[in-house]
Amino acid sequence: MLKLLKNRVFWLLLLVVIVSLGMMNVTTAHRNNLTLVEKVIRDAFIPLQSGISIVRGNLNEVVTAFSNKSALQQQIKKLEEENSKLTLENQQLREYKHEVIQLRLMLDFQDSRENYSLLPAHIIARNPNNWYRCVTLDRGLKHGIKNGMPVISTAGLVGRVASVSENSAQVSLITDRETAVGAIIQETRETNGIVEGLGNSNQLRMINIPYYSKIKKGDIIITSGLSAVYPPGIRIGRVTEVSREPNGLLLVAMVKPAVNLDKLEAVFVVTDYQPVTNSEVEEE
Amino acid sequence: MRILVLILLPFLAIFLQSNLFSYYSIKGTIPDLILVFVTFFALFNRVDQGTIYAFGCGLLEDLYMGRFIGLNALSKGLTAFILGRLEGNVFKENLFVGVISVLVATILNAIFLFIFSVLVFEVFHIDMGMLFGILYQAIYNVIVAIPIYIWYYNSSKSGVLKNLGRE
Repeated sequence: MLKLLKNRVFWLLLLVVIVSLGMMNVTTAHRNNLTLVEKVIRDAFIPLQSGISIVRGNLNEVVTAFSNKSALQQQIKKLEEENSKLTLENQQLREYKHEVIQLRLMLDFQDSRENYSLLPAHIIARNPNNWYRCVTLDRGLKHGIKNGMPVISTAGLVGRVASVSENSAQVSLITDRETAVGAIIQETRETNGIVEGLGNSNQLRMINIPYYSKIKKGDIIITSGLSAVYPPGIRIGRVTEVSREPNGLLLVAMVKPAVNLDKLEAVFVVTDYQPVTNSEVEEE
Repeated sequence: MRILVLILLPFLAIFLQSNLFSYYSIKGTIPDLILVFVTFFALFNRVDQGTIYAFGCGLLEDLYMGRFIGLNALSKGLTAFILGRLEGNVFKENLFVGVISVLVATILNAIFLFIFSVLVFEVFHIDMGMLFGILYQAIYNVIVAIPIYIWYYNSSKSGVLKNLGRE
């Protein structure tokens, strides 16, 4: 033991461990800004990553062009049918929207969450290790992206901006271990649960569900809007399994993300979302 | 030239991991090329050199990620330190040694990452998926380690990495 205490290497290692642990604590995922070194390192990769992303996109187009013609024709036919159905549904929804606006005007109800400014961005890189679930976007501070902005796709919620450099932004996906989103069931509007990432690319977990909840397999989960980061009404995923927690008081549900995060190529950053504050919720 | 290659290797690894391998993941798991390079460096060099190089490579990864800076630096540094202590007792000519070293390094690195994550993460979920993730990564690392070890060994003996071994 005395020999160990006299060993310089031991003390050096101990010092490095303590300093590193301290550094980890002050550089959590919720920092406001990256340091200059981090920005430089990240931006150094951007030209190459963007280039590869463009080449990959072009290759995909070429492969698609040469793929089976009849399969493509079938797909076009199917998409045309789907398009006509959606057009009809869209018309109906526009009517409902108009009706809602009229009703809100009648009630003098102001809703700032009506329309969000969406900034399109491309994914140029993904998580370089298995510990985090994140993607890198080709838009950064220069394009108006800030920390904490929600990121969505046409299919649903993707995540939030975790850090930004001049030309890129890193997005923590909803499947990241550090992500938690306030959620409700779309149809019944009940159950304010929390959907959290498991570090797995294809699964989420919804917790804090009361034992009397009617949540069931197949239910669609959307954002509740009660968290400080994510706008309400965005699809998170679909319930695949419901079970009871060991304490018996709460339920837990496994949720399959609405967005195929492994294949995602383009997203939208919500640049002007004003989170609902607690006082506003109480007032409402 | 040797130093330049050693500096470029972790950059190349980050680039490949975030671009190429992320599209060819096994059940969402990608190989840890930095760990593979660090393992081989630790096998072919002195324990202090291996530890410092591994710490530096991990730090680069942390700076690129922009969060929990020191997490990968510390786990990779400690992994290389342990591997470096074994370095004198193994026959580096044997490919099998390289493969087993990568397997051991993957498990050690995962254990260190796990311990430090529990200490510093605000929210940290532990489940069987994590265990399977480590298993898949160990398999993936071993597969990519085979050609890399052949290149690394030859380069250390008569190529661009020559003279980097213990002197």
